Amino acid sequence: MSDEEKEQMTEAEAFERVVKILTPHVRNTDALKSVKNETNILDDLKVNSARLVDVVLAFEDDFDIEIPDEDVDSVNTVGDCVNLIVGKAS
Amino acid sequence: MPTPPLPLHARLALVVQRETGRLLGPLWIPLVVLVARFGFGWHFEGLRESRREFKRLRTASSAPLLVCANHLTMVDSILIAIALGSPWRYVTRYGSLAWNTPARENFANTWYTRVIVYLAKCVPVSRGGDRREIGVVLSKITWLIGIGEVALIFPEGGRSRTGRVDADAVTYGVGRIVRALPDCRVLCVYLRGEEQKSYSFLPARKDRFRVSVQSMEPKTAMRGLRGSLDVSKQILTQLADMERRHFNDRQ
Repeated sequence: MSDEEKEQMTEAEAFERVVKILTPHVRNTDALKSVKNETNILDDLKVNSARLVDVVLAFEDDFDIEIPDEDVDSVNTVGDCVNLIVGKAS
Repeated sequence: MPTPPLPLHARLALVVQRETGRLLGPLWIPLVVLVARFGFGWHFEGLRESRREFKRLRTASSAPLLVCANHLTMVDSILIAIALGSPWRYVTRYGSLAWNTPARENFANTWYTRVIVYLAKCVPVSRGGDRREIGVVLSKITWLIGIGEVALIFPEGGRSRTGRVDADAVTYGVGRIVRALPDCRVLCVYLRGEEQKSYSFLPARKDRFRVSVQSMEPKTAMRGLRGSLDVSKQILTQLADMERRHFNDRQ
């Protein structure tokens, strides 16, 4: 398995875990059926903005990483979460 | 550093906004207070103590000062401004008038509300909007407090739907600002009208407000987002205690 494939695996795994963490906070469950990297967490999944903090804390616990305050600003889509987590975990 | 540095153009824009508001302050500040006091007939109890404490904090030290308050009506920032200083004080010491972060959708959706918001030291924010925009607003407020201005933030993030301070409705923004500013002091303000049962757009006409203040310097050993949440929680807990005292005193 090439490094690129490993990286892809990591992103795919991160994507799956991110969606799992987001699921209890999602109000538009229909959007979950077609969730992809470009899916906006607040606008498409209708996650309450106040709950975004809980989501980020869950990322920290689940992936055993620390996410600085300013990095929370870059979280808008599912892909943003995946990139942030993969970046911190590597 | 918990907030990204503010670009020079953004700092300049804030200085221009402040100076424009300051120049026109002798016109709009007394007008707002007159409308509140005589137009709506709102009265305040505890003004002397709250104004004295705010003045003491402003003059005793140049350390950063953030005002945090409970939130029940859309004009709370005006009521709190009246509670913390006289129109004369704000006209002569414009830095004492707190900056606010009103919801753009409520206060900056027309050209005239944008003008008012601009003059009244406001940095509008889109609630639940783009996280980067919220981050920029937090950076602006942090920078302003750092240069000696005062800002007012509602730690609950919006008007309390229960009518009481909700310690679980904590947002991390307040904590993030406090953690970004070494030795930052927080003046907690609890303000409530006698007729205020729950949240509303405006307080009742001729309502009588009681105001209490309590200063604190929240600290945390936690890092990152948890640290910011911990600080925000300490402030909300203080406000909840003040609320308990408010209702105990009424019995």
